[in-house]
Amino acid sequence: MNHTKAIGIALASVLLGGGALALAGYSLASATPHQTAQKCVPNPTQAGHCTLTISSYPDSLAGEHGTTGGAHPDWVSYMNQDLSVPANTVIDVVVNQYDGGEKLNNIFFDQVMGTVGNVATYDGVTMSKVSPDHVAHTFTLRGYPGIDGQSGKRLFVNVPLPANEGDNAVKIGSGEYPKPLVVKFSFKTGSKGVYQWNCEYPCGSSRVGQFGFAMSSYGYMSGTLTVE
Amino acid sequence: MTTTLEHKAPVIKHEGGGLARHQNFLTGLIGGVAGAFIAWAISHHLLAQDVRTTSDAVAVLTGCGWIVGFWFGIGALNAPFAWLIGKDQTRKDQLYYAGEDQGTKRYWKYCTDHKVVGVQYIVMTMVLLGAGGILAMAIRTELIVPGNHFVDQQVYNGFIAVHGMLMILALIVAVAGPWGNFVVPIMCGAKDMAFPRLNALSLWTLVGAAGLLLTTLAVGSLTMGWVVLAPITDQAAVGMDFFALAILVFTVSTTVAGVNTICTVFTMRTKGMTLERLPIMVWGAIIAAALGLYAFPYFSLVEALQILDRTFSTSFFIGNGGGTGWLQANLFWLMGHPEVYVILIPAVAALFEIAAVMARKPVFSYRTAVAGMVGLAGLSILVWAHHMFTTGWAPTLGGPFMVTTELISIPTGLFFLVLIGTLWRGNIWMKLPTVWMFGFIANFIIAGITGIYLSDIPIDNQLHGTMFVTAHFHYVFVGSVLFGAIAALAFWYPKVTGRFLDEKLGRISFWLAFIGVQVTFLSMFISGLRGMPRRYASYSFIFEHTNFLTTIGAYMIMAGMLVLMAAVIYCWNHGEPSGSNPWHANSLEWLVSTPPPLENFDVLPVITEDPYNFEKEMVLS
Amino acid sequence: MTNSNENKKSLKSFYWLWAILTVLGVAASLYAPGYLMPKSMSQSMHLSILTMVVFSVAAAPVAAGVYAAALYILRNWTHKGDTVPAAGPAFRESGKVVITWTLTSILLTVFLLIWGLGALAADGAGSTSNPLVVKVVGQQWVWSFEYQGANGTTIMSNDLYVPKGREVLFHVTSLDVTHGFWLPQMGIQVDANNDTTTDLRVTPNKLGTFDVRCTQFCGLNHAFMVTQGHVLTPSAFTTWLNAQPARS
Repeated sequence: MNHTKAIGIALASVLLGGGALALAGYSLASATPHQTAQKCVPNPTQAGHCTLTISSYPDSLAGEHGTTGGAHPDWVSYMNQDLSVPANTVIDVVVNQYDGGEKLNNIFFDQVMGTVGNVATYDGVTMSKVSPDHVAHTFTLRGYPGIDGQSGKRLFVNVPLPANEGDNAVKIGSGEYPKPLVVKFSFKTGSKGVYQWNCEYPCGSSRVGQFGFAMSSYGYMSGTLTVE
Repeated sequence: MTTTLEHKAPVIKHEGGGLARHQNFLTGLIGGVAGAFIAWAISHHLLAQDVRTTSDAVAVLTGCGWIVGFWFGIGALNAPFAWLIGKDQTRKDQLYYAGEDQGTKRYWKYCTDHKVVGVQYIVMTMVLLGAGGILAMAIRTELIVPGNHFVDQQVYNGFIAVHGMLMILALIVAVAGPWGNFVVPIMCGAKDMAFPRLNALSLWTLVGAAGLLLTTLAVGSLTMGWVVLAPITDQAAVGMDFFALAILVFTVSTTVAGVNTICTVFTMRTKGMTLERLPIMVWGAIIAAALGLYAFPYFSLVEALQILDRTFSTSFFIGNGGGTGWLQANLFWLMGHPEVYVILIPAVAALFEIAAVMARKPVFSYRTAVAGMVGLAGLSILVWAHHMFTTGWAPTLGGPFMVTTELISIPTGLFFLVLIGTLWRGNIWMKLPTVWMFGFIANFIIAGITGIYLSDIPIDNQLHGTMFVTAHFHYVFVGSVLFGAIAALAFWYPKVTGRFLDEKLGRISFWLAFIGVQVTFLSMFISGLRGMPRRYASYSFIFEHTNFLTTIGAYMIMAGMLVLMAAVIYCWNHGEPSGSNPWHANSLEWLVSTPPPLENFDVLPVITEDPYNFEKEMVLS
Repeated sequence: MTNSNENKKSLKSFYWLWAILTVLGVAASLYAPGYLMPKSMSQSMHLSILTMVVFSVAAAPVAAGVYAAALYILRNWTHKGDTVPAAGPAFRESGKVVITWTLTSILLTVFLLIWGLGALAADGAGSTSNPLVVKVVGQQWVWSFEYQGANGTTIMSNDLYVPKGREVLFHVTSLDVTHGFWLPQMGIQVDANNDTTTDLRVTPNKLGTFDVRCTQFCGLNHAFMVTQGHVLTPSAFTTWLNAQPARS
């Protein structure tokens, strides 16, 4: 085979093959569900503050996974998981907690850590730790300077969310829930970065630590917080 | 120099074959899907719905339905059933099964001709490498910049595990499959393998296992690495069950193939073919087969126990049930370490063969070559816990395993001695096989030396679980084994097709792959040395430059493989005709026609010397 | 015979090539490990880096020899032209070469083994009787550290604080799957296993911050199971410890 023909075949195979791969990759990337991140709302009365409202549910019927709850309607879920907050701001987080709970497996997480004052308010009462006997979930945020390509401020925030013992009264999406237990806390962001948060009170499947199912599937009990 | 290429001859209707006349890959697929559906339907209805282990049990039974249905459909079970009811195969049946006068159709069937099985293995190797390669591109695209969100980390974790398993499967069969089947029986002077039907069984069982493995991607995948360590496997989705079953099925394939190879070489050598007159390639095939027979049953055992843990809630590997994850790790690595030598030894043996023919000189110190391979296989049985230095399992055993692991450098060094000694002062024919062989030499020394670093515990305490380890074994598998497998392909391609693999395309592919390997894996070593752990979906910004380079290098390797694939496909029917002995070699496979007759030899030859006398060109009289 | 004189003369360029590549390899070996690996904050890490240097220096002539031989072969003995090459010299055996090669590789291996076993012993020796005990708990995907506070209380922290110059004894365990507890700047790691405790000892010898990373795949957020460590002066460490709220 002469040179030109060889180079022709080589180029054609790389372009066609590479093109097919790129197309497949692009379809794969678009097919993977990416949520649009929920942005936190700047506080009109307090400069340098921004409010982020999320909820934790005992199932997936509240709307984020569709009206029928998606593939796993019985899995616990947060709404939303992907969050976006501005840099160098105090983030005031409001969590509407709708789920019941039990005894925390690792008492490390019964303490509020990393928030402003290392406290949080629970239905108006300010506390630095909760009773480990009735915990539903935790909001545990972590990120280390340099993780995910950013040299943002190191964050570690842990807020335990106590169990909600109320009776069902509210309808959200296609699920019924009690009046929410409202947890409020604040933490300060530094410069840009990407952080991961997840619930650290496992309640999924598996005889080893119960981090199976909802706990280890993207989109239920784990998410990304982007500081931008 | 004209050759009639037999596979273009018209199809002639023959008697014989029975049911097999109507069976092929398509009926196999239909049988497999039907079997899977029936098994699923029955188990789904019979098993209690609210039990945690039900979905795992259903998955395992569905997988069993697939493989049994596939075997029925492809015709693997015809002869055993016929034997049960007293109907032996006639000579006409055997000739039908061997694919006589069926043209290209026989490549889609349960064909017992070892040459057809060899070509089918070439196709399977390329399919598995291709699927694994696509996943590799996805992995590297995710890691091209830190914080990329090409896919989320759950999907990514699934990719790295399935990539690993597909590539390991591909490389286990990459040289032993095509060339252990096509070439080794002819090299021995035999008409076929000792158990021709088992030969077809080993290939089609691999196809069935591959089907199960590819299914894992669709059902929650395997998200804990191909090593499937316990206890995290307890959290895995249903893909884990398909994986475990795929391994059990694959072990059947590899055991059957290993037994076949060893029996063929020890009972079917032609008159005068003493063990020392065998081409060195044959030694590689039987040593690897023997090592595989030792090692793969451990894999089956550990996966069977994983299935029991998941479907019957046993606790072999679950700490809070009385078992331990360390048991899984030990059983796995008892297989895992010998297995890498099952992968390496056929490639090295093929390269010894290529070196001798291309340098026009005998293999240097044939006995050292054999001793080196035997020594490597033997020692590999004693080193497994070097994968467990940092588990905390048995600190007092660290020293002894360090000793055995570092001793492996001695037989490995002998391989370099034999290769360099064979090439030294030769008259080296710089054709494609030779080029890839030099690539092997350059890469394998890096692979070997970096392995020695990891065998030393103070270094392993730092580098275990980092990208340094990943770069080390990719130098072994991609830089060394794959290069050896491609050299073997370029070498024996003319015997299979009657045409050369094009030199120019082959060289373009070589340089893309060779430079790609250095760029990809040298930068990966640096990522690991600087502190980047492995199996990370995302990484700190201090690793961004090396990761970017690694991804560019990976794209280069893929480009090289695309060019090679184009060459293989194009030259199959349009390449430059080669004649039946293009390399003027003297081993028996080159002395038969191209393609070889159905039963290789009309008259079995009598051997009087080994095939390494290049002063004269031998012919079959 | 003129042949062997010729052979000896032409081999000179091979030896030169081998020597040059060895020098380059040794130079790289002396410099690269310390430059590339994380900065050393303990004797274990120092030993790890030193062992990398020693092994690289020992490997340099081996790699250089193989590359020199391959290049030399490509330079001198490739067949030119389109014809089929004639047969090469049919030497099949050389007891001298095989024995020399095997002996050299045995000696090199024994040297590496002696160094390695020695380093292993050095690492394990010198345990003091009063180490600072820290319990390391891995949970998917957070590390937490437990210290003994005053009056039998337990202190828990996400950051790892250790005092300089005092041996630390880590009792490492996991509440779920297997994690890998790795301190890159300290050169030590051990797996955190469910239902078992594994031990790790190190004496930090430099002030500053270091990383704690997970090296054993542990699920969805394995890549984010990272936290920070701090080596403080002994007095600063005591101050920190006393300021922590008791957990139980």
